[in-house]
Amino acid sequence: MRTWLTIILANLFRQRLRNLVTAFGVAIAIGMSFSILSFQKGYENGVRAELDRLGAHLLVVPKGCPYDAASIALHGASWPCYLKSVYLETVRKTPFVACAAPVLMTALYEEKSGEQQVYCGVEKNILQLRRGWRIDGVFPEGTGELLVGSELAKSNGWRLGQKVALPGLKNETGRISGILHPTQGADDFFIYVPIRDAQRYFRHPGELTHILVQLTDPERVKNVVEELRGCDAGLEMTIVPLSHLFQTIQHLIENTRLLLSCVALAALLTAACGVSNTILMAVSERTREIGVLRALGASPDAIFGLIWAETTVLCLVGGLSGLILALGSASLVETWLRQQLPYAPPERLIAPDVVTLLSCLGVCLLLATFAALIPAWRASRLSPAEAIREGAYTA
Amino acid sequence: MIGQGSIVRAENLRKIYRRGAEDVVAVDNVSFEVAPGEFLAIVGPSGAGKSTLLQLIGVMDNPTSGKMSIAGSEVSGLSDAARTRLRRETIGFVFQHFGLLPTLTVAENIGLPLLLSRERSRDRVEFLLERVGLAHRRNHRPAELSGGEMQRVAIARALVNQPRFLLADEPTGNLDSVNSAAILRLFQELRQDGLTIIAVTHNEEFARSADRRLTLRDGKVVS
Repeated sequence: MRTWLTIILANLFRQRLRNLVTAFGVAIAIGMSFSILSFQKGYENGVRAELDRLGAHLLVVPKGCPYDAASIALHGASWPCYLKSVYLETVRKTPFVACAAPVLMTALYEEKSGEQQVYCGVEKNILQLRRGWRIDGVFPEGTGELLVGSELAKSNGWRLGQKVALPGLKNETGRISGILHPTQGADDFFIYVPIRDAQRYFRHPGELTHILVQLTDPERVKNVVEELRGCDAGLEMTIVPLSHLFQTIQHLIENTRLLLSCVALAALLTAACGVSNTILMAVSERTREIGVLRALGASPDAIFGLIWAETTVLCLVGGLSGLILALGSASLVETWLRQQLPYAPPERLIAPDVVTLLSCLGVCLLLATFAALIPAWRASRLSPAEAIREGAYTA
Repeated sequence: MIGQGSIVRAENLRKIYRRGAEDVVAVDNVSFEVAPGEFLAIVGPSGAGKSTLLQLIGVMDNPTSGKMSIAGSEVSGLSDAARTRLRRETIGFVFQHFGLLPTLTVAENIGLPLLLSRERSRDRVEFLLERVGLAHRRNHRPAELSGGEMQRVAIARALVNQPRFLLADEPTGNLDSVNSAAILRLFQELRQDGLTIIAVTHNEEFARSADRRLTLRDGKVVS
């Protein structure tokens, strides 16, 4: 004997094309919502992880756009302007500064491979900020020593102690004193050298690109920023609190997400209207059948339940298809997003998880209930006599 | 006078429909009773109010005025839930248009009232399939059946919950003479088994086979 579920499925198969088109509308709406939610989560996690890896509370950069500077510091590139090394002492002397690590960063284009190689000139105190770093060998302190990222070492086949030609630098060689364990960030592709070497290689003696600052108390960010802005060197530097930077990026993404959420909501409402219309048509076509069911003893609640269940199955089929579609196309969407976004962390931008998945299924059920209300109510209110009579006219 | 042992009893039933600005009296002051095991044929010209009267007897509609009792219980004031239960447990319906669900097989259509009652009785369905001579068609869908076969399925479905009486609205109305005769024979067998039958019909032969006929004209009983 068939159960109600098979009756529901059989009813949905009666108008396959119509129901398929309707389910497709639900699939687009749910898939879009799922992608937006996963993107928000992935992006937030990515930015947070990237800032955590930087290990600093403040970024001191030359005068200019703080967001461009932050992006360069995080991802690695050539800087358009420089700070004087003497400012480092000013920063170090500022109250609540626990550590100020100078960096001279440059990106060189290597003709042979056609790729860009990022160099960071640093002092050993950077290890105070990068507490998560694990190094095979030792940190480079002597002239001509290098610390190389894991991916770079792997792709070039470099080994500890090996003397190598420095990519992009003619007639310069270095000895690999340490290889960095994978960090899942941009560091995996960088070469770290002592800052004096970097200043010599890139002909910027006595200059830096930025200073990474760690505070004794993160709550004192405001005091330190005010102190640094008020000092003599303050006019030459931009002080970027990374927590503010994170909030600003998040704020920008929130605005984008809000806009996209409105689009997704519009898609969900349109899908709900489409589903409701499809089920209303089905109820209209099956008026006499509903009348017969009522005559045979089906209660109004049973009819309401039948129509609601049909709507729910239709929406769930659409919703699940949308989720599969969104999961399947996540990498494609991610590639596209990376091309569009001015700043994208190396982590997965679209990070689907079970909570988001279940939330979307919940939205799908809500959509089904909303869409089913009018047709199910209408079907359940049909008087058996009228339904049979009306059906005779429409049949 | 109306007796006490009747299975269906109607007193001064009136049903008025509103059609636009006009009131249409479909059933006008009708009184009758049906004894257990009786076969009553309701006849009359089209528009006489036969089907409306059948819907009132089948508690599918409320009378505008008058009283209606089924198996000794007044039904006019019953709630929708109670009327639904009464239809499910007490009355078997046979429609002119058969009223089979096209997505279900013959066996599933017959078992549909059991599903609504949340009962399962494969034996009862099998028995009725044999009874109406459609055991070999149990897995066919209505679209694969002839008109006569569809009506036999509808009769089996009406009997599956073992109703107190059967209501049939033009059961031979959509059938040719051969199938009409077969359905008439089935009704006569049911009558012989003691089932109470109330049927609206235009078929003279069908009406003749009934114990009694109630003739309606313009909503009134004329004989």
